[in-house]
Amino acid sequence: MTTYNSDLTGDKKLGFVLYLVGELVMFATLFATYFIFVQDAVNPTPTEVFKARTLIISSVFLLSSSGTIHFAEKAAEKQNTKGIAIWLAATVLLALAFMGVEIHEFRTYYHEGFTLTQNIFLSSFYILVGLHAAHVLFGIGWMLLLAIQLNRIPSSIYGDKQKIFSYYWHFVDVIWIFIIVFVYAPYLV
Amino acid sequence: MIADLFGRKFYMASDTIGAWVMLILSAILGIILITRAKKWPIIREYATTTHHRKIGVLYLLSATLFFMRAGIEALIIRVQLAFPDNNFWVFQGEKFNEAFTTHGTIMIFFVAMPLLIGLMNVAVPLQIGAQDMAFPYLNAVSFWLFLAGALLVNMSFFMTASPNAGWTLYAPLSTDTYTPSAGNDYYIFGIQVSGIGTILAAINMIVTIVRHRAPGMTLMKMPLFPWSTLITSFLILIAFPVLTIALYILMFDRFFGTSFFSGPEGDPIYWQHLFWIFGHPEVYIIILPAFGIFSDIISTFSKKRVFGYGSMVVALAIIGLLGFMVWVHHMFTVGLGALVNTFFAVTTMLIAVPTGIKIFNWLFTMRKGVIRFSTPMLFAAGFIPTFVMGGVTGVMLSAAAADLQYHDTYFVVAHFHYVIIGGTILGAFAGIYYWFPKMFGITLDETLGKLHFWLFLIGFHITFFPQHFAGLNGMPRRVYTYTAEDNVFVFNFVSTLGAFLMGIGTAVFVWNLYKSFKKPQKAGDDPWNGRTLEWSVPSPAPEHPFETTPQVVSHDPVWEAKLHRAGVLPKASKTRTAPIDVVSWQPVMLGSFMLFFSLAFIYHVTWLQVLLGIAILGFFVLRALTDEHTKKAKEDQAHDNV
Repeated sequence: MTTYNSDLTGDKKLGFVLYLVGELVMFATLFATYFIFVQDAVNPTPTEVFKARTLIISSVFLLSSSGTIHFAEKAAEKQNTKGIAIWLAATVLLALAFMGVEIHEFRTYYHEGFTLTQNIFLSSFYILVGLHAAHVLFGIGWMLLLAIQLNRIPSSIYGDKQKIFSYYWHFVDVIWIFIIVFVYAPYLV
Repeated sequence: MIADLFGRKFYMASDTIGAWVMLILSAILGIILITRAKKWPIIREYATTTHHRKIGVLYLLSATLFFMRAGIEALIIRVQLAFPDNNFWVFQGEKFNEAFTTHGTIMIFFVAMPLLIGLMNVAVPLQIGAQDMAFPYLNAVSFWLFLAGALLVNMSFFMTASPNAGWTLYAPLSTDTYTPSAGNDYYIFGIQVSGIGTILAAINMIVTIVRHRAPGMTLMKMPLFPWSTLITSFLILIAFPVLTIALYILMFDRFFGTSFFSGPEGDPIYWQHLFWIFGHPEVYIIILPAFGIFSDIISTFSKKRVFGYGSMVVALAIIGLLGFMVWVHHMFTVGLGALVNTFFAVTTMLIAVPTGIKIFNWLFTMRKGVIRFSTPMLFAAGFIPTFVMGGVTGVMLSAAAADLQYHDTYFVVAHFHYVIIGGTILGAFAGIYYWFPKMFGITLDETLGKLHFWLFLIGFHITFFPQHFAGLNGMPRRVYTYTAEDNVFVFNFVSTLGAFLMGIGTAVFVWNLYKSFKKPQKAGDDPWNGRTLEWSVPSPAPEHPFETTPQVVSHDPVWEAKLHRAGVLPKASKTRTAPIDVVSWQPVMLGSFMLFFSLAFIYHVTWLQVLLGIAILGFFVLRALTDEHTKKAKEDQAHDNV
């Protein structure tokens, strides 16, 4: 048994949740920006831009990764190193698949002429969804760091680190759900 | 001035050359002095520290430096406005725009904020019985990010590219169509980088106050400075991210060709909304901690518990809450409609109620108290009438119909200087005199302190009281001159005289700092006969201030112990783990990388952006692989295995 104290872990958890509150306000502001500028969008309108197929594929990848990271967390609680490695790898792969689909989506838009500066609807779309994509990318790097540290640091502190990461990852997923509901869905249904 | 160098002609204004010469000379002088006094180890100690007291001192030191820079700017502005049709040096037209922009920006973000965050760092952990801030390493990161941002905004002048669209950076003036030079880019990156530091500092404060209080200190037994810090930190956590995104969007407008805030589709009013949704909470962010400082000081120097403690806490919370519902009162003249203006006029007026509660509670704390007018108490006593005057003009401004007349006149300038100097700056001075023993183990000279107070306060009123009348006579703010027929000459001239008196007062303060270090008057642990926990630890506060964690049984625990326990605090049976202090170059390195990363953006050097971007991400990797928690856990494990 390690004596590493749970007081410090609790500090870190609360601190990181507070950080996510700050991030939530940032994304809320970007959503507000999108709502304001999507209303009078012409050339193109959102209906002309969005396609349901890519959205569904990318959402399946990202939302299921919230499940795999949850299993990784459960494995960490049981100190099951093999389980952690499998579920973490699965999460990385799903995240990479999501990024692949999203890059493909942006490239398609680009070739259709739907660029950042085409109109403000697209500008506000890109700065919101792009910032989310940057978070996914950052998360992938974070998971690689966790993978390096697995087995090299005491399991209790590894468990803490991974728990903080899953807070982050669930948050990124929740933002994606908001993006589905508020950014895409109104113009696809 | 035009210089001929390497066959190319360089143009430089004489004021910029003067500033460069002064900068280089003072840098050389500084290096010589530090070397001669053999103080480099102390510089290294402070650059690598993660200890809350030292970081607090760093905040206060940089704030004092920037206070002098922005103060000199204020004096230049006042000289230019002293006479009608004046042409002082080069400070007309564009240069005047730059001077008032950097004066405002630096005073708000790099003087008011760090003065208060510095005092929080010094005092709050000690007041609640914590061994340090919850995250010492993060605390250092916050400071160096703040300093990187502050240096960016300050260096813009030396690069002849000062921001020039006002501290509010209103669009579309702030977009690249109208101000293409690098000035406003310095603003965007400077405030962005320091803003991230401020958000992290707020998180640190909240966790410290929520989880590191001494056993027995329930929230309602906590002194009022930690209380105001807690509420302020929540305001920072909600308000600053809005500014982060506002600057992020403006960055896209200026760098990547979008047009959110200008052009046929864009909406300049949206910038105003975003800015003030941040900006109004910001003014409470810089006033609430001052309220907390005054509450503690008035209680100590009146030898009485704060009157109406519960209502003080509730008033702080209500002010914090209402602070998010009043931002449109900065935009009454935009034309958002009678209903909107009425709503925000009413919410604004409501704020006078909790503020009034606080004013009366301070007065009732003093009533029948045993009052000592030491320097901190003098500042507190000077604050009350000054702040009330600023509050009264605030209520006048909140009447939307009347505001159409006051808007953008010197009446508004007078109002916000009354509340910001009268509240925040007097509060910060009071706090510095009050907690100076906890920072350095010495007290500041009382005679010079009192001289500083009287010069500053009288100078302040002479400066800003006439500006009300200049404003009512129709003088708009942010103009560089006026004519003799405008009927504002006398007010402006008197105001300039007052400004120099304030300058002399500040010089006395700096002289006091110098003299107090030269001939130190040792302070005991408890020089003011204090009431709260910071006076139970040694001066200056050591690395682990509380040798045994005290058990808190009442409000004002040290006072209670003096009355009933012969000055000995009861010991707590259970303690929590202290945060882990480290010595690290990483935070200061991260800060300087952020500085150069921003410069790479400001001057569009793509390869450097990529390089430094990767390096900054590298800091996350470095941190993850070298953090002190893992190290400690490893040590514990090795210990267990033996």
